[in-house]
Amino acid sequence: MTEEPYRWVEAISNRREYIEHQLAEGSPIVALSYKDGVLFLTLSRERQKIFEIYDRIAMGAIGHPGDIERLRMAAIEVASTEGFTRSAQDVSLRRLATFSLSPALKAAFEQIYGPPYLARMLFAELGREGEGNLFTRLDYDGTMHTSGGPHLKTFEDYGVLAGTAPQAAAMEKHLAGGLTHAQADLDAALRMALDVWTVGHLTREEGPPPAPEAIAAAKKEQLAGAVVEAAVLEKTAKIGAAYRPLAQAEVERALGAEG
Amino acid sequence: MEGLSGGIERLGATGGGPDFAALLRKQGLYPAIGAAAAGISKIEETHATTILAFKFADGVLMAGDRRATAGNTVVYDRADKVLEIDRHSLMAIAGVPATAWEMARVLEHSFQFYRRTQLQEMSLDGKVRALSKLLRDNFGFVMQGVGIVVPIFATYDTAAPGARLYFYDAMGAQFEAADYAVSGSGSPAVRSILYYANTWGDRPLKEISRDEAVILALRALDTAAETDTATGGVDRRGRVYPVVKIVSGDGIATLDEEELSARFKKEVK
Repeated sequence: MTEEPYRWVEAISNRREYIEHQLAEGSPIVALSYKDGVLFLTLSRERQKIFEIYDRIAMGAIGHPGDIERLRMAAIEVASTEGFTRSAQDVSLRRLATFSLSPALKAAFEQIYGPPYLARMLFAELGREGEGNLFTRLDYDGTMHTSGGPHLKTFEDYGVLAGTAPQAAAMEKHLAGGLTHAQADLDAALRMALDVWTVGHLTREEGPPPAPEAIAAAKKEQLAGAVVEAAVLEKTAKIGAAYRPLAQAEVERALGAEG
Repeated sequence: MEGLSGGIERLGATGGGPDFAALLRKQGLYPAIGAAAAGISKIEETHATTILAFKFADGVLMAGDRRATAGNTVVYDRADKVLEIDRHSLMAIAGVPATAWEMARVLEHSFQFYRRTQLQEMSLDGKVRALSKLLRDNFGFVMQGVGIVVPIFATYDTAAPGARLYFYDAMGAQFEAADYAVSGSGSPAVRSILYYANTWGDRPLKEISRDEAVILALRALDTAAETDTATGGVDRRGRVYPVVKIVSGDGIATLDEEELSARFKKEVK
């Protein structure tokens, strides 16, 4: 059956439709630069969705927990092995995503007799001195959207991940609309990130962005039933590992300060 | 990165195991040494000597001289023998640096790998045991006369707050020290000093202040250097001072050159 090209294309397209349907309900994830590094934020009800990968790399993911685990473990193994055999400086998100994860995801997706990875991931890498932070979104079929240009110049200082394309587009639009998160302190960045998350959460189809009142109301409603999960990659970290999950009290204090 | 183009079969290579050393072994990257030739080695190895650690009021102080020797030759006078393994753990090394530094690297990566993959910190007992396993893995080598390492491990237990101190033998046995631990060729002198201070001093070591602890450590190392040629002294012109680190509930603090230089001028000689 699949020897015929047409059938193969059809099978791939069915598979894509199935995966997109599975991912559609995922809670959005926001990553943005702030004064002291990179902030990740999402709202979760049951399981952890933001993870440490290596000294300066973190990941957020939606999808099937089993697949997220396999990909997360693979990313950690690859980064740790490289960091051990050479040095922590040799571990880079660009290489991790383009040379290991992307080809593996594509191969699994297109081998239609095997299972694909049901996952969508957002990675961020804390830039070294004088460099911008890098954000990369990696999809189940291996496609990549990255904020970094070919010469390591970064164009956007944020990255988003959502269940559907319109959600991600709305979040990116909100972020591009003159937010000052890159200069903000952690508390202010947390509040901005939660707004971006809410924009993604409220968006169903393409259309005008939600009104500020709608965002405020939805935020309140969501916070009542879920927990804000947030973590940072801190430039100020004294040791190599820059990742730090934020304590619940820290998040509540920042969000409470909004009044 | 190594073998990544291998792609898919590489994903989930260990099936999510928490053991970094096992992952390295699987990939043929474990820094173990193949079978060495039969017989006893006669090469002059590089050695590092005189490390000490003791508990005081704030936590544990760990210090080491800076000299590395091979036989009668001074190989290096700026060796760092007190190594930071994670936020709350220090390892001091006496013996062959080639092996010891590699052990420290494996250890550091093992703790981080465990935390990252398992989403929780490795327990204190797990960490202490991990070093023991590395020493045991190395023992075949030691039997052939090369690569001996006799470390001290100090850590601050954040779960049951308090400083913990361990010393090891070359085979990997771990001993928890109540008050102090020493290792290396200059250690007999240092051990006597610490015993004396702890038993006959004004107060036991556990109760002395940070200032008193630092002075005691510097004087003890100076005493060791007086008789042991393998222990380095202080080179003020070259600004080479012992490495002194303190681990407490706040993490690890390293004494800077400015403080060491002032202390030597005022309190040592």
